[in-house]
Amino acid sequence: MIYRHILSGARIAISILAAVTILMIVDPAVAAGIEIAVGAPDTVSVGQEVEVKAVLSQNGVPVEGAEVALTYQASLAGESARVEIATGTTDETGIAVMIYEQRADANGEMQVVYLGPDADPVEPYVLTIAVESAGPQLYEFEAGVKIPFVNGTLVILVISGVWFLIGLSAVYLVRVGWDGRGTSEASTPEDGSMWISTLLSTVAVITAIGMVIVFIRSPVSNTHIKDPHQYDRTPIAYVGVGFSYVGFGLNDESSAQTGDPIADGSVLYFKYGCAACHGLSGRGAVVGAPLVDEIGSFGGFSEDTREGPKGMSEYDEATISEENLQKIYAYLKDEG
Amino acid sequence: MDTLNNWRERLISKTTRPTLITTYKYWLWFGFLLVITGNGVFQYWKQWQHGLYVTDMRDRISWGLYITAFVFFIGISHAGTLISAILRATKAGWRAPVTRIAEFITAVALLIGASFVVIDMGRPERIFNVYLFGRWQSPIMWDVMAITTYLTASVIYLSAPMIPDLALYRDRLADKVGVVRNFIYRTLSVNWKGSPKQQKLLGKAITIMMLVIIPIAVSVHTVVSWIFSMTLRAGWNTSIFGVLFVAGAIFSGVATLIIIMAILRRIYHWEEYLTEKHFLYLGYLLAAFGAFMVYVNLSEYLTEGFNLEEAGLFAFRQLFLEDFAAMFWFYIIGGLLGPVVLMLVPKTRTIAGVVTAAILVVVAMFLERYFIVVTGLRVPLMPYEAANYAPTFVEWSIFAAGLAIFCLLITIALKIFPMLAIWEMTEEHAADISDRPTEEPNMVGADIVGSLTSTERLPDAGPPAEGGGS
Ligand code: HEC
Repeated sequence: MIYRHILSGARIAISILAAVTILMIVDPAVAAGIEIAVGAPDTVSVGQEVEVKAVLSQNGVPVEGAEVALTYQASLAGESARVEIATGTTDETGIAVMIYEQRADANGEMQVVYLGPDADPVEPYVLTIAVESAGPQLYEFEAGVKIPFVNGTLVILVISGVWFLIGLSAVYLVRVGWDGRGTSEASTPEDGSMWISTLLSTVAVITAIGMVIVFIRSPVSNTHIKDPHQYDRTPIAYVGVGFSYVGFGLNDESSAQTGDPIADGSVLYFKYGCAACHGLSGRGAVVGAPLVDEIGSFGGFSEDTREGPKGMSEYDEATISEENLQKIYAYLKDEG
Repeated sequence: MDTLNNWRERLISKTTRPTLITTYKYWLWFGFLLVITGNGVFQYWKQWQHGLYVTDMRDRISWGLYITAFVFFIGISHAGTLISAILRATKAGWRAPVTRIAEFITAVALLIGASFVVIDMGRPERIFNVYLFGRWQSPIMWDVMAITTYLTASVIYLSAPMIPDLALYRDRLADKVGVVRNFIYRTLSVNWKGSPKQQKLLGKAITIMMLVIIPIAVSVHTVVSWIFSMTLRAGWNTSIFGVLFVAGAIFSGVATLIIIMAILRRIYHWEEYLTEKHFLYLGYLLAAFGAFMVYVNLSEYLTEGFNLEEAGLFAFRQLFLEDFAAMFWFYIIGGLLGPVVLMLVPKTRTIAGVVTAAILVVVAMFLERYFIVVTGLRVPLMPYEAANYAPTFVEWSIFAAGLAIFCLLITIALKIFPMLAIWEMTEEHAADISDRPTEEPNMVGADIVGSLTSTERLPDAGPPAEGGGS
């Protein structure tokens, strides 16, 4: 008995000791005497090369040969971390010049941190650099080798040329027809069928023009290398956007209203993307746990789905109705 | 004596045979094709309901039998137009009976091939996005452009030389066929009366198309190959793909043409027109292309194999030794070397030999398309297990339906259109039996042929019809 008390007392003591040690190690307030001052522009624009100058001094004396880094707080998929974007070493005047290229359209909190050679911690210098409005294209690079005249215009010319010849040949055929109109020596039972072939040829000519227009329009409607503002990336991570597509297949509402909850559930299980993480029939996959083995009560299942454990997204009532969730449950139960 | 006029009348009656006579066998065949098509439509409906999940295509191997079928059919479509245009342009004296069938194959195969792209889409209605938002930086867009152009051009190229024949049908068959066909003949023969002016205009139209269609056809299959070779994938990313695909397309196209010619010849007794000579010439073409394909393959695999990179190692192993070895070696030995051997050995230098070679080629080229698509995607891009793919019943059904519709459209066309180019063949025959140009008063369109394929033929246009073997 006593033994146990002593043991837990010792455990508590060790824990406190450990906590204090950790606090001491990470506490930035421990002064090494080195101070960082920074000179940087207030606002920059996307694509610009930005120069950040750090000045290190100790008791008024410049620090030479010190390593510093420029970092910023980045977050991706819910994770947040400090990312180094430039490093530098101070010269004899204590100045380190760091250059980075502004790619993001907004900067989080940036810091200039001291990396060494001293082991003692140094208070980082916090700065913010604002970014001028940048448009949707965040980062643009010069693609390929540009050869004069070898470009979209040439492509359009070639294609137009080919279609011109096709159209010309169609026009000749129409002229064949017009030429034969009304001359009654041959035993034509009926004339006047010209309108159909004329119509067909007209359609061919319009198609020709249309195809050329598609090509000419192409750089304007989509990628425009000179004017990146035309460029719209496909939004990839929108869940439940305003323009959700309603159509056939899985998106057809009626496909999940057959009256058989299990069949409906299987459709909904795919429709809401559960399969993407939990595997084709709920047997688990790389990301999601198996659902069918120990599915438990509907209450627990519903709670899990609504709350989204461990990085799974939350599926609230507005996304998956209670009725549909019950169908998914029925399907998984049946699979199990 | 067999006068030119008699000869022509016989040709007309033989050509119109499929149009006028329909036996129960025709309907049996028609029904058989309908059943296969029906099953395909039903399976597609299932795919429409459940999405591409019903296929075996998944994240890693995302192209399968459908894209294979797409490449295969677009390949076959090179039969026609390319062959008939090249033969027309080079004034090959034996081309007339072959061209019409070849051109039909082209138009039909193109339609089927292009549909397989849409079938491969999980959301087929999005095909219009290609037109609305297409960007010419994308190889897919080049394909859309090339195939649309080719389809338009080959329909015109098919219909223009058919106009005089359709006019003949319009005049001769008016009382023998129903309303629909009469309407088709009247419409498509665009008031053809054979006047000199019309002949001149038609001649211009045909000449333009003949010259335009050759580069278009070459560009089409080159661009199809670029869909693969413009990606950074071992086994696909090679500059020889354009050549390999175009040569393969003509190769499989000629083979398909031979098979269909042999069938029609059998059924409609066209032995007089589709002679052994035609088969042998096409067989030689097949052998020549077979040899060329061997060379292209050798050049490709030797270059890549010599400086073998890591991913290439995997691609090579699966092709030469492992999963796809059977297909690959059948393709090389049966499909490429087979026709060469069959045409080299005098004993097999017969119609039967040529048809055998053609069947080997069609099968081999299908397998080639298949293993190109699948093995390329199989090569892992990251250190994971290679994925596997096996077409499901749905995929096979839809592929079978594609073949069935291909046959079906040709079967229907037999009932409507002249499958032998009557006026061109008459002209050719006239040149054969006499030195002077024809004086046949009734002969529609003779002058055009005169202006296109001059009556002075090359001194030696090939061995005599019956002497192919020795
Ligand atoms: C983005 C991937 C993802 C999607 C999509 C997803 N889940 Fe999950 N789900 C997870 C993860 C990750 C967990 C936690 C797994 C673990 O506990 O290890 C989880 C857990 C669960 C659990 C609790 C399982 C357990 O044993 O604790 C349920 C129930 C569940 N998900 C249901 C659903 C349903 C229903 C859907 C579809 C509406 C869905 N999930 C969609 C990733 C996902």
